[in-house]
Amino acid sequence: MNTKAPDYRLIGKPTRRIDGREVVTGRATYTQDIKLKDMLIGKILRSPHAAAEVVSIDLAPALALPGVFAALKLAEGKVRYAGQQVAAVAAVDERTAEKALSRIKVEYKTLPYVVDWEKARDASAPQVRDGKGNVEKFNEYSRGDVEKGFAEADVVVERTYRTAFEIHNPAETHGSVAYWEGDHLVVYDSTQNIHGVRDGLARTLKVPAANVTVIKKYMGGGFGSKLGLNEHTVAAANLARETRRPVKILLSRRDNAVCVGYRPSSLQTYKVGAKKDGSLTAFSLVNYASGGVGAGDEVSEPVVDIYKCPNCKVEEFTVFTNTGASRATRAPGHTQGALGLEGVMDELAAALEMDPLELRKKNYSTRNLGDTGLPYSTKGLDMCYELGAKAIGWERRNRKPGEGSGPVRRGIGVATSIWFGAGVPGTLADIVLYPDMSVEVVCGTQDLGTGTRTHMAVVAAETLGLEPKDITVKLGNSDYPWAPLSGGSLTTPSVAPAVRDAALKAVDRLKAVAAARLKVAADDVAMGDRKFFAKSAPEKTVVFADVYRDLRRETPFHGERTGYPGDAYAFNTFGAHFAEVDVNVETGRIRVLKHVAAHDSGQIINKLTAESQVVGAVTQGLSAGLFEERVMDDTTGNPVNPNLCDYKIATSLDIPEITPIFVDIVDTRLNNLGTKGLGEPPRIPSSAAIANAVYNAIGVHVREIPMTPQRVLAALKRKEAGS
Amino acid sequence: MREFKIAQPRTADELAALLAETKEPVAMMAGGTDLIDELKSGVATAGLVADLQAVAGLAGIVPEKEGLRIGAMTKVVDLDEDAAVARNYPSLRQAARSLATPQLRNVGTVGGNLCQRPRCWYYRDPQVVCRKKGGFNCYAFQGRNKYHAIFGGSGCFIVYPSDLAPALISLGAKATIGSVKGDKVVPLEQFYALPEIDGRRENILDKGQFLKSVWVPAPKAGQKAVYVKLKERGTWDFALVSAAVTGVVQGGVFAEISVVMGGVAPIPWRLRKAEDVLRGKPVSEALVRQAVDEALKDASPLRENGYKADLAFAALKEAVLAAAA
Ligand SMILES: Cc1cc2nc3c(=O)[nH]c(=O)nc-3n(C[C@H](O)[C@H](O)[C@H](O)COP(=O)(O)OP(=O)(O)OC[C@H]3O[C@@H](n4cnc5c(N)ncnc54)[C@H](O)[C@@H]3O)c2cc1C
Ligand code: SF4
Repeated sequence: MNTKAPDYRLIGKPTRRIDGREVVTGRATYTQDIKLKDMLIGKILRSPHAAAEVVSIDLAPALALPGVFAALKLAEGKVRYAGQQVAAVAAVDERTAEKALSRIKVEYKTLPYVVDWEKARDASAPQVRDGKGNVEKFNEYSRGDVEKGFAEADVVVERTYRTAFEIHNPAETHGSVAYWEGDHLVVYDSTQNIHGVRDGLARTLKVPAANVTVIKKYMGGGFGSKLGLNEHTVAAANLARETRRPVKILLSRRDNAVCVGYRPSSLQTYKVGAKKDGSLTAFSLVNYASGGVGAGDEVSEPVVDIYKCPNCKVEEFTVFTNTGASRATRAPGHTQGALGLEGVMDELAAALEMDPLELRKKNYSTRNLGDTGLPYSTKGLDMCYELGAKAIGWERRNRKPGEGSGPVRRGIGVATSIWFGAGVPGTLADIVLYPDMSVEVVCGTQDLGTGTRTHMAVVAAETLGLEPKDITVKLGNSDYPWAPLSGGSLTTPSVAPAVRDAALKAVDRLKAVAAARLKVAADDVAMGDRKFFAKSAPEKTVVFADVYRDLRRETPFHGERTGYPGDAYAFNTFGAHFAEVDVNVETGRIRVLKHVAAHDSGQIINKLTAESQVVGAVTQGLSAGLFEERVMDDTTGNPVNPNLCDYKIATSLDIPEITPIFVDIVDTRLNNLGTKGLGEPPRIPSSAAIANAVYNAIGVHVREIPMTPQRVLAALKRKEAGS
Repeated sequence: MREFKIAQPRTADELAALLAETKEPVAMMAGGTDLIDELKSGVATAGLVADLQAVAGLAGIVPEKEGLRIGAMTKVVDLDEDAAVARNYPSLRQAARSLATPQLRNVGTVGGNLCQRPRCWYYRDPQVVCRKKGGFNCYAFQGRNKYHAIFGGSGCFIVYPSDLAPALISLGAKATIGSVKGDKVVPLEQFYALPEIDGRRENILDKGQFLKSVWVPAPKAGQKAVYVKLKERGTWDFALVSAAVTGVVQGGVFAEISVVMGGVAPIPWRLRKAEDVLRGKPVSEALVRQAVDEALKDASPLRENGYKADLAFAALKEAVLAAAA
């Protein structure tokens, strides 16, 4: 298979966002900006208690307040986390709605609860689910014989790593505006999944899916917290039905910390065995993860897949607590898993007195499941290692972790990622050509702020021989052709091939029309410089405008992302990050100086927005690695930092020089553009590379993120104590 | 946010009269960067908000023969940009620059900074009624307390969040308090009060009183002043621990020294025992270690904030060595 990137005119080059001006001038309308005639404001009352029996809810005092149009009971029986919805109101304005909430009388009988997930593991802890223990095994995997593998090893290292609860905190909080036109429901929703929300609303409200339209034009991020139908959206639709008016419900920043998910915590214990030369003999992982009343994440895929290792055993347990349910968070599981797996690889390298990068190369796999499964269709990880190491100056690292001296220590670290990102077969997109030469691309996908609009225009323009500005992009409406949710790095590898398919069909038609004008065979027609010409007689030309006019009416072309080519190959994305840090061993403060992110995500569509994805993901990884942590309090049953002051996110002063590198391997087996996803991959190894750089600097692995001064100082004490 | 009335007195006397006469709870609003947040979340309530913006004569940095007067309504950004402050009180400038963000410094005032309410996350949670808010329990004591006090807590373990206060106290500043009874001057150090005196407030202002200005004495010959702030992230962060050192250095020894720390106690914390160790001896890292160890004898860390003892050393070392350099 030829994996060389074709020489495109636009694809793979940087293209400015076609909606950039809209966004930066404040003219783009987000769900929060929607204002409709006679619109009411809805608000939700939430349980302050982590566990309680709702004895009664009295809505009458709220309904008696002038300006209140409707109120709903939303809870029955038990509430199991603080922040769970209890009741909702719709009123003329926000102040009245707030006042109405404070008048609702709820009688609670509080119950024992546990929010500290380590305490929840005790057999004596209050049970989160009735009649069931708080700890449940939710994943296991085994290949080979790990005991035999460890017995064969020259060196065995066993270490435990922890990751914190990380809140998505998109800039735009969740929100929905709902109204009914007769029996048709229209919902503006800040969502990553317009079709999923449509189907969910249809099921929940018992209306035909055909009678529901979900619209999302612009969005201020989601990171996984907006992947499905939300309770507040259902409440808005019900309040709208009752009041016969549009109802808008926006969630608060506090709501973001209690009821719309977060990345589950993890406590991962790895045991790894290796021969003196570095070849791995066995891996075992025991993981405990907590997702509140929801599930933890499986963190084991990296250890199962990445390195060549014949023997591997995994057991994963989820720990239930009285906290809102977790939700997928940019590269769920893999991000946590990378911190642990790549940490233990570095600690193993130190034990073997080996270069950490050499150890990784030594155990390089070309098949999944640790070189025991299917061959990877393409795998450019080796190039990521090579180009990344060169860009960071890998030779400058400490040969022995912590060998520097003085109060400020410098270190360099590496970490690896594997992810999916092959896209979803069956994704649809239309291209419509108009006789006046306008061109429309229509797809029921959504742009989360990642640049989907622009990449659709780039693919259409490339194929049709036009410029992105010539293309009108329509997306963000569930009445448009189906596309999958925007999560799992699916959007580009699903949508771009569908647009390409439609555009290729459009070009075929245009060539046929041009052929008629040129009086040559259709396969003799070529395109260039906004003209069609005969290959056999290049002086015979017809300009685009004439050919489009000959179409006589607008003409749609239906494109589809095709299926996978059998099951002989594994399709994955890969990446390697390299970070350079300074650590002050007296203050415990880490500064990231440089971060190189090398990725194999197949054909890059728009280099500019692709780089933005990488910069954003590295920033998020730095932030989670150094600062971000939802802190729960067992006494109140609530988080103590449900705001952006105490839940600390990296500021511009914390962000270093970030260098994205793309290795440009085109997987033509996978789809018509050979493109793969990039939304999540750069998030996966970013915290881990920084953690390993810190290890290289100070000679002790912090083994827990965020690596706050408190934890760095504790790690240094651990080192002093020799443990 | 509950409803409230707003008053805009034009003079300090009008303000004093308003504070004395009003029966319902009054909240003074300077820049509002702290107060409005509290009113919105419901942590603070007020029947009347007295907007200080229009009160004549409360803003401005005025050189006086014996020192510098800083009006309560002076913006934090003006401290950062003032030439006399830069020349004579470098630690004050460092403190002003280190706090919050440019947006907040453009709006926040010196008076508001010195009178701001604590950042304890239980206190800031409208769902929690802790001791400071008239309840029975201090939730931080056995709860989540990595940012809390290692010195001076009793019943309440907040740290006083102001960056300007430690710098000003170490410079020997005095506060002028206004009221209908006339002005009263107290050393800024005595402006703050520990929870054992009154757990519900952080300073000695009684009903009817307000902070009018602070005055900083002219620097002594050879005076050095440094402010070091340790935080978790690059900006927009309160101090984990900060150290303000003012001293007169002669031949490598501190003839005089004043050390005040932020982030470690419910009030800006004067480390007199450390000063005693540091005074009159050749400055070295070992001497700072000894000074901090002496001071830490009074510390009683909680479950999650023991690391602040290490940070106290790091901050003091940096400040003392910079001042002595
Ligand atoms: C996100 C954020 C980060 C921050 N970071 C820092 C930081 O790093 N370091 C730091 O020191 N501060 C920090 N602050 C606090 C900020 O410095 C102060 O909020 C600001 O200086 C206060 O000034 P203000 O004029 O806005 O006060 P206001 O909000 O108007 O008032 C604050 C309090 O002081 C009272 N008050 C105001 N003036 C007087 C007066 N003359 N007499 C009596 N009482 C008065 C008010 O009633 C109120 O209770 C931060 C604040 C925020 C919101
Ligand atoms: S430290 Fe003070 S403010 Fe914080 S919970 Fe305790 S009493 Fe309340």
